[in-house]
Amino acid sequence: MDYDLMLRVAPYFVEAAVITVQISILSTILGLTLGALIAAAKMSSIMVFRTFGTVFVSVIRGTPCLIQLFILYFGGPQIGINLDPFSAGVIGLGINIAAYMAETMRGAIITVDRGQIEASRTLGLSKLRTFYYVTLPQAARLMIRPLGVNINAQIKATALVSTISVVELTYTAQRYIGSTYKPFEMFILAGVLYMLIIYVVGRGVSYLDKKAVIQ
Amino acid sequence: MMKNMFKTAIAASLLLAGTMGATFQANADELDTIKSNGSMKIAMSGAYPPFNFVDEENNVVGFDPAIGKEIAKRMGVEAVIVTTAWDGILAGLLANKYDAIVGSMSITEKRLEVVDFVGPYYRMSRAVFVKDDSTAKSLADLKGKKIGATLGETHEKWARDKGDWEVRTYKGLPELLIELDNGRLDAIVVDNIPVLLAIKKNGMALHQMDTPNIEGADDSAGIAVRKGNPKLVAAMQKALDDMMADGTYTKIAEKWVGADIR
Repeated sequence: MDYDLMLRVAPYFVEAAVITVQISILSTILGLTLGALIAAAKMSSIMVFRTFGTVFVSVIRGTPCLIQLFILYFGGPQIGINLDPFSAGVIGLGINIAAYMAETMRGAIITVDRGQIEASRTLGLSKLRTFYYVTLPQAARLMIRPLGVNINAQIKATALVSTISVVELTYTAQRYIGSTYKPFEMFILAGVLYMLIIYVVGRGVSYLDKKAVIQ
Repeated sequence: MMKNMFKTAIAASLLLAGTMGATFQANADELDTIKSNGSMKIAMSGAYPPFNFVDEENNVVGFDPAIGKEIAKRMGVEAVIVTTAWDGILAGLLANKYDAIVGSMSITEKRLEVVDFVGPYYRMSRAVFVKDDSTAKSLADLKGKKIGATLGETHEKWARDKGDWEVRTYKGLPELLIELDNGRLDAIVVDNIPVLLAIKKNGMALHQMDTPNIEGADDSAGIAVRKGNPKLVAAMQKALDDMMADGTYTKIAEKWVGADIR
């Protein structure tokens, strides 16, 4: 192992890790927002919304994320959508994870005991209030961990944007392998940084999960 | 951000509806766009030393960026260097992601169908490399063996058309050299210059096979630009010709490759 080389290039890997973190955060925010909307659409009483939600989820989950990124980035300009690599990466990954987020949220919401909903409706609470005061607080606790799993997967999926010219952690490692011919050292560096990012996120999710326990 | 969100909404709905419709085509010559932007985006893989690679400070350097920057300078604009995976580099050019590929791309009939080339800006030769302890003396000895090539390079097609080999494709030259060195490949088919330099620099136990009359022994590298830009091609060609005439080209070639390779 060439430790000297690893130390010399480490600062540039950290810079690249910042890009990876930025893409992770932005695409996760987009994914959570869009995911909540899709979950709502899938559970809507209006047929058009339900159909849209179902089609969205099955199309996105039924095709590889890499293909979705390619369609958006390389195919986009053909239909007038010309995004720079970073935006295309964030939007592509965000749309992809949204489908998974939506299913996780929906899963947690339908797990909440039906009897409670019926009870609060009987007590005269509106549908919206029932959802807000009865269903959501319980569902929210249930979804923290599985959403955390999705975020974990999302961070690792950011490596895919190296294929559309975003120089993040993975492509930085590949570029350095190109000039140093030291694949082991370079991938170890990238791997350690990925692990650090995922460790921090994991701790955050655990903290939220503990906080959310009913006292 | 709002604009992006709006675009996302459009993108998502269009993609879902599956309406892959009209093709957008710019009418004006891109030279005007580049001049008004004041910058020209040039693409390369960033993993092809000595032509384009990163130094220890993570800057993209080498023969290709030096030539690209010099051309841009002579056109009065700034060069912006983009690195992207080789197998998607032409798709990116066609999708307007950058203005030119200065990335050691060899000029072929097939590529001329979709892009125009400025140049050639250097000559290269197809070569087959094996380990020093290999028993193979000629291409015939490699029959049935595992031969590696870069995905999307001209050598890949050549190796497949030969039909005698088990062809394996990789992302780039670094992977090929590593795989040949560790024994997962019996031979690699590549451009000779970067490999000869890598062997010299890293003391690898590899050598070029003696392959007289190999097809593609006189390939040349060109700068790819989108079709329909005669003014851009002319301006870049003039910049290239000028630097070849006044000695700048030789200086760049000597610095990065150690020889004049025009």
